[in-house]
Amino acid sequence: MTSENPLAHSKHVFRAALLLLAVVVALILGRLFFVPETWGEYGFYRGAAVGEHRAEPVRFGGDEACEPCHDAEYAEHAAGVHAPVRCELCHGPVALHADLEEGEKLAEMPVRRGRELCELCHRAQAARPASFPQIDVREHVLENGGEVTPDACFDCHDPHSPY
Amino acid sequence: MKHRHSHPDQQPDGVSRREFLHRSSAALAGAVAIVLILPEGSAAGISGAEYDWDRHTWVYVIDTTKCIGCGSCVSACRAENSVPEGMYRTWVERYEIPVTGEAFIDSPDGGEHGFDPVTSGMNVGKGFFVPKMCNHCRATPCTQVCPVGASFTTRDGVVLVDAEHCIGCGYCVQACPFGSRFINPTTHTADKCTWCYHRITKGLTTACVEICPVGARQLGNRDDPDDPVNEILATRRVQVLQPELLTRPQCYYLGLDMEVR
Repeated sequence: MTSENPLAHSKHVFRAALLLLAVVVALILGRLFFVPETWGEYGFYRGAAVGEHRAEPVRFGGDEACEPCHDAEYAEHAAGVHAPVRCELCHGPVALHADLEEGEKLAEMPVRRGRELCELCHRAQAARPASFPQIDVREHVLENGGEVTPDACFDCHDPHSPY
Repeated sequence: MKHRHSHPDQQPDGVSRREFLHRSSAALAGAVAIVLILPEGSAAGISGAEYDWDRHTWVYVIDTTKCIGCGSCVSACRAENSVPEGMYRTWVERYEIPVTGEAFIDSPDGGEHGFDPVTSGMNVGKGFFVPKMCNHCRATPCTQVCPVGASFTTRDGVVLVDAEHCIGCGYCVQACPFGSRFINPTTHTADKCTWCYHRITKGLTTACVEICPVGARQLGNRDDPDDPVNEILATRRVQVLQPELLTRPQCYYLGLDMEVR
């Protein structure tokens, strides 16, 4: 044992400690800078993303959204066999047509018209449930003495209440 | 365990190099652990008078015996969620299975514009449509593989993508065994069905459920005993897609055929 100063060889320890401190500080600063503010609020993700998803605009309003302005059509449709077919299925989302909160009309409602619309559901298909009403439009129109035109369906059927 | 005295590096009056390294690496590991663990808070979550995500566990039921293949759900989803053309958060597949021979399976434009009758003249033994979408799996591979934590499951059981944080690597797209994810060509980030999170947290249902004219699609809350989906799950025979993968899908199917994967 020598009586050397105990701190004589400690320089490398302090250097290493300083380096360690620098790494830790860099980690903390890096984290502050790179990790988003709400990270880890609810789990291993950015908490604010949940609220951002919730804030997306709602576009489909349901039949109830149409009733205030179109009560006659609404009543006719609700009483017919097409009642389960939502207004917006044929007409498109209400948000394109009206601002419901302001009660303001934004644009004309697009109307999908033509036999293609009816055929989406009613064209005869082996894959459709057999109990679902389906036809070959051409055959059906000719059988009933009609003329096969793009709008042929609407000569006899009102899509709001087809029978 | 301590390393003492016998080491050749031993300084007469200090710590051995080995011990020093041991101690300093332990200290570093501790510091890193503290820094990493620190922000994992225990916030209350999304709750309020109008919605409490701790009182909801969303599940989805698809009745393939009711689906008529009109594709309205596909276009409603596109309109509600601004899904780019050519991409699908939900789609409808058609199966026509002959008495003998290969099954015919297709999904033109995801079924969005309906289906033209198959003209092959085959003797169809059974035919049906199968709407598909994200299964919001409980043990989902897609969120596990995300390298940046941009994909996650909410407390109410919905798998979402944080488009702001996503780096668009596409790893989750590869990981999903159901093909439910895609890279959005506009945002260049991962995109998928959200079960219309903006609607269901406001008391509305999803756009696809809302628009379906035959009630083939239903969304419900597992935590609400009066929700009709709970009666279906309790009393009907349901199946999920690819159960062998153990991802625990939360879209339950009625009338699922073995041809459907």
